[in-house]
Amino acid sequence: MPKLNTFQWAGLAAFLFAVFFAVPAFVAASGRTDLYYTLTSVALLSIASAGVWLTFYIGRINIGQGAFALIGAYASAILVTKAGMSFWLSLPLAGLFAAGVAILIGLPILRLRGVYFAMISLVLTQVVTLTALALPITNGAKGITSIPLPGAVSVFGLTLIPDFATLENPRLAFYYTACALMVITFAAMYRLVNSRLGHLCRSMQQNEELAASIGVNIAYIRIIVFAISSFLGGIGGAMFGSIAQSVYPSSFQVADSVNFMLNCFLGGLGYVFGPMLGTLVLYFGWDLLFELGRYQLLVYSGLLIILMLVLPNGLLSLRLGKGGGQGR
Amino acid sequence: MKRRTLMKTSVALAVSVSALTSAVWADNPVLKIGFVGVTSGPAAAWGISNQRSMEARADWINEAGGYKIGDTTYDIEIVSFDDQKDPKRAIAGMEKMAQEGIHYVVGPNVDDGAAAVRPVAEAQGIMYFPYAFPKELYTAPASNAVLGMVANYQSGPAIYKYLRDEKGVKTVAFVAANESDPLSQRDGGVAAANELGLEVVSDNVTYQVDTTDFTPVLTPVMRTQPDLLVLSGVSPANAPQLIRSARELGYQGLISTETAQDATVLREGAGELANGFISVGGASTPEIASDDMKEFVDRYTKMFGEYNDESNTKVYALEYILATLNANPAAIDNVDEFQKTMDTFEAPNPFMKGDAKLRYVGTSSFGQKRQIAVPLVVNVYQDGAFETLFVAEVD
Amino acid sequence: MEQIIANGIYLGAQYAMIALGLTLIFALMNVLNFAHGQMYVLGGFVTYTFYGQLGWPFVLALLASCITLAILGALIEKFLFAPVIRRSSREESTMLLAAGLAFLFDAVILLVFGEKQRGVPKIINGVFNWDFRLIMPYDRILICALAILSIVGFILFMQYSKTGRALRALAQDRTAAQLMGVNVDRYSMIGFALGAMLAGLVGGLLVTITGVNLGMGGPTSIKAFMMVMIGGAGVISGAIAGGIILGFLEAIGLAVLSQYGDITYLLIFVSLMIFLAIRPQGLMGKPWG
Repeated sequence: MPKLNTFQWAGLAAFLFAVFFAVPAFVAASGRTDLYYTLTSVALLSIASAGVWLTFYIGRINIGQGAFALIGAYASAILVTKAGMSFWLSLPLAGLFAAGVAILIGLPILRLRGVYFAMISLVLTQVVTLTALALPITNGAKGITSIPLPGAVSVFGLTLIPDFATLENPRLAFYYTACALMVITFAAMYRLVNSRLGHLCRSMQQNEELAASIGVNIAYIRIIVFAISSFLGGIGGAMFGSIAQSVYPSSFQVADSVNFMLNCFLGGLGYVFGPMLGTLVLYFGWDLLFELGRYQLLVYSGLLIILMLVLPNGLLSLRLGKGGGQGR
Repeated sequence: MKRRTLMKTSVALAVSVSALTSAVWADNPVLKIGFVGVTSGPAAAWGISNQRSMEARADWINEAGGYKIGDTTYDIEIVSFDDQKDPKRAIAGMEKMAQEGIHYVVGPNVDDGAAAVRPVAEAQGIMYFPYAFPKELYTAPASNAVLGMVANYQSGPAIYKYLRDEKGVKTVAFVAANESDPLSQRDGGVAAANELGLEVVSDNVTYQVDTTDFTPVLTPVMRTQPDLLVLSGVSPANAPQLIRSARELGYQGLISTETAQDATVLREGAGELANGFISVGGASTPEIASDDMKEFVDRYTKMFGEYNDESNTKVYALEYILATLNANPAAIDNVDEFQKTMDTFEAPNPFMKGDAKLRYVGTSSFGQKRQIAVPLVVNVYQDGAFETLFVAEVD
Repeated sequence: MEQIIANGIYLGAQYAMIALGLTLIFALMNVLNFAHGQMYVLGGFVTYTFYGQLGWPFVLALLASCITLAILGALIEKFLFAPVIRRSSREESTMLLAAGLAFLFDAVILLVFGEKQRGVPKIINGVFNWDFRLIMPYDRILICALAILSIVGFILFMQYSKTGRALRALAQDRTAAQLMGVNVDRYSMIGFALGAMLAGLVGGLLVTITGVNLGMGGPTSIKAFMMVMIGGAGVISGAIAGGIILGFLEAIGLAVLSQYGDITYLLIFVSLMIFLAIRPQGLMGKPWG
């Protein structure tokens, strides 16, 4: 069981305070309500990126997370619109469904390593997009639209989660939900990385043969980790579907998969919280350059390259304190 | 905790940057109109022609002293957001527009983006003018989207009917890219053709969006020897290649599409093989273009170096927004007023010769007036330029 | 049938050329060059500018594409990839750099050449038509022949020239090559330039047939990845085999499966996955790349 020192506890408390109190207070004070959606996006994208990071942890470069996000989005949308299920129940089911698909696909392709795995995972997003276009249950090219907002959840007459449609500001509700999910995800990741499984993953990352020779069931661990990773992708995708109230085959594209990977690289592959920071910087980086108009992409990509030249091991390699929690 | 400071700094930065730009000095008060669409990446052509026509028009208005709405004369400022053809970004763009206090937005350019921004637009009181065809966007309970162009299920029947009656077309084949927008348009086209009593000889051939070589794609279609080949929802980048491949495979019949095309692109990509290609355009052909339209084309060309014929259809949305606001100044920050005005609004169409009108239509397609009446101008390409084949109206 | 074979050869030849450059760069530096497709597009635009706009002879314009891309490739290797590889603790970090480059090229292409589809005048007119059993425009036949010639030329170069031998040694074992007195830095740069040049060459060739637009880059890279996977990463013969196989799969699939909509690519993807599950290193690759 990992022990946090006082400094880390303080950091965690400060982070939670910032996310759940300071940001909403700031938004209310400044009137910048568009930040809710931006930060919700960052939170959800960082959940999916965390999954990608986890596959890096077993030495696989995963450029296919968009595929699982899309699967999750469709699974949740279909359960809500066709089966009339509550969104809150469909959310974990969407994650589980994505994980199930990941196990099926992972059995053959996880045997690949290095660039081979990277390249095959790059193709996955297109496979799912093409499948969504071809299947009747996904409504093909027309997508699934007019998905209702998440409904109420009550236990013994006590309303735990209010019906989003009745809320004055569903965006704030989505923000809290996304942040809560993000906190849970990264807490679980931190726990996982510091558990026995985490140690086994690290040994696999360095040398699979060696790990196998000392009795690690690498095939089993690979599948488990890939399933967890895809579960996170599915959750992120399902949440996005609910916010947009629509899912299309193009809701998640190859570009998204590449971005998930970039988030991890940018944050630093050696650090659990790398994906969170990477997502924040990349997403806000693009948004901040909004004013540059037609030069937006030029400056953005230029900065990305310069960043890579200066900090080839990710932003967190510049760490000032050690509060971030470390993977290795 | 670096993460937190970074977040704060970026937030602070974002605030200061947006504060800076909103303080642009101007004589007149500024009326901001938004654009959310794709201006980078593979589909950049759609959004860029859109954004540029808005900027060219706004520039023209401002140069002429502004636009009078009620008692105030406004300078028009176009605020653009590049959504990278990603529906998730499009939502962020719409939020940004709301933040800027904008109530009228042109875009997004594709189906998924238009569907994704609907919750935001309705919650934030934004009227938006997408270039996307799904009917549920415009049918009640949806209230804030106004279709910014002629839909394929409206232009398709008109074109097929004309070709059936005038050119004796009896059989039709459809080809579409394997992507949401083109596939939906193909399905609409097939339905329309069947209704007109045309025989659809091939409707399931599709191609990957990124195809560059269409010969293998078209070979099976050409075997069916249709009188008319419809390129459903074809992007301007693919059109010349498709035409060229079809002609090189020995196809003699007619080729048409329901999307807007660019004459230069066709000339460069297919040369004289593109002669006779039928597409939907705006009002820039010499037969019907008014002096205003000619000036618009001139100004656009001067501003950006080269005109794009797709802009003919995209000049209208901004004009409609301003003219409607002019008709009911109370709508300037109140979209309910705007929606009320839409039912009765009528103004002369400045871009077309004759007495064409700007008004909202769509009752027969959507059950409510949620479409701008753009003249349905069907063009035929001939030696580097478009000629008007016929003009129709949509109701 | 004849048509399918002809389409397959034509597609295969152009694909093989695209894959060659990618695999060369990968073999030498272990860099998965995401920007390869963008380099190809850039090559197309250079030829478009010189041949289509300025009216140079086609061959000279093609040469201009090759030179531009070769110089660009050399600079990119020297000032971007080499330092990052040196400083980074993981080889994969170059992927972020490559992706950044792909974005950068996209932005530059958009700003310089605009968003429109561009095309050039045909180099030869006319269509070869054998009784409607085999239809092939003459310019396609010419481009196909040129592509095959370039591939043969490239193989001969790699096989017999001093530079080619040094590059092969480098690809096989970097350390050993260094010990044998090969100037690794210099040849890495030459190899990258050569890979970029191949991209420029094929871009210049194909602009006469397909035209060029800024959106063609990303999908081209993905296709090139697939060919490399089929043939085996970092192996020249593998890239050629992969290109030809993908070309034929496409030609056959589009002809046979056309009435089922676009499932050709879905099937290609799925069979690729099954194939890689059985043979992870591709047809001719070294195990684990």
